[in-house]
Amino acid sequence: MASASAETASSSSQIATAAASPTTERRGIPAAQFVEDVQTFLSQLDLDVNSALAFLQERLQQYKLVEMKLLAQQRDLQAKIPDIEKCLDIVATLQAKKEEGEALTADFEVSEGIFSRARIEDKDSVCLWLGANVMLEYSCDEATVLLQKNLENAKASLEVLIADLQFLRDQVTITQVTVARVYNWDVHQRRIRQAAAAAANES
Amino acid sequence: AEKSDTVVTWEDQQNINKFSKLNNRFHELEDEIKFAKETNDNLEDAGNELILTDEDIVRFQIGEVFAHVPREEVEIRIEEMKEVNSKTLEKLEKEKETVLAQMNELKKILYGKFRDSINLEED
Repeated sequence: MASASAETASSSSQIATAAASPTTERRGIPAAQFVEDVQTFLSQLDLDVNSALAFLQERLQQYKLVEMKLLAQQRDLQAKIPDIEKCLDIVATLQAKKEEGEALTADFEVSEGIFSRARIEDKDSVCLWLGANVMLEYSCDEATVLLQKNLENAKASLEVLIADLQFLRDQVTITQVTVARVYNWDVHQRRIRQAAAAAANES
Repeated sequence: AEKSDTVVTWEDQQNINKFSKLNNRFHELEDEIKFAKETNDNLEDAGNELILTDEDIVRFQIGEVFAHVPREEVEIRIEEMKEVNSKTLEKLEKEKETVLAQMNELKKILYGKFRDSINLEED
């Protein structure tokens, strides 16, 4: 049995050189190397099984950290998009009311649970909160353009983020499979050694 | 078990990655469908309340404020929102079916090659 596995090891080492993940990294996330053959992988890293497993586990931890960060950013963006859409809705409503020539009456929250009534008459401009304690006045049309641009940027960022997350998850899956294979390979090697030792003792 | 004798090719790895991706998307879709269904229920309730009320001016939420809007306009708005929502819901349900079908295909392929060495079921 020992000789049979040695043959498969040498033949598969020839294909090992062809194996390479399509990208080496994406926006700072290192790609996980796909392992064609465990034996070659270990000699390439020049590590024993336990060190290799430790290295792979550390990689998984690093991936986890990046995943947390990306997920938090995704949540922020997913909350921001409906907010911008609501702003667009209000600006559109104000413009529509202006055309009708009527004032817009609205109940708004002064404090938690306390509402007050407001009548909005001048609907030519709105103030937009730009962040960093800055608020600017815009005409309704300019406001719509700005909000629309922000909405598109947010949606585009979200798409890129989701692609990043998918890439990251692929690397995690590859690493997890590699861990399982290295571990199984080690178990297999031990069995071979035990069998060989037992046979040697008997003879 | 002679698990380690099965060679894992790059194609296998890609299939496993794809399955994982589909599984994640499946769970996301379930959440999104749940949210869309809740929105649908809320809009239904709002529509019913509107029929019951006899006020001419309804306080309708736009953004963070409750604007005073005439009843007919509110009816139209709610109908539009319901339209948009049911289209979204339909799209999500369709995507969920596609994802499930692809997952089942991959399950066949992966179980075929790896049998007991791989587990693709929900915990």
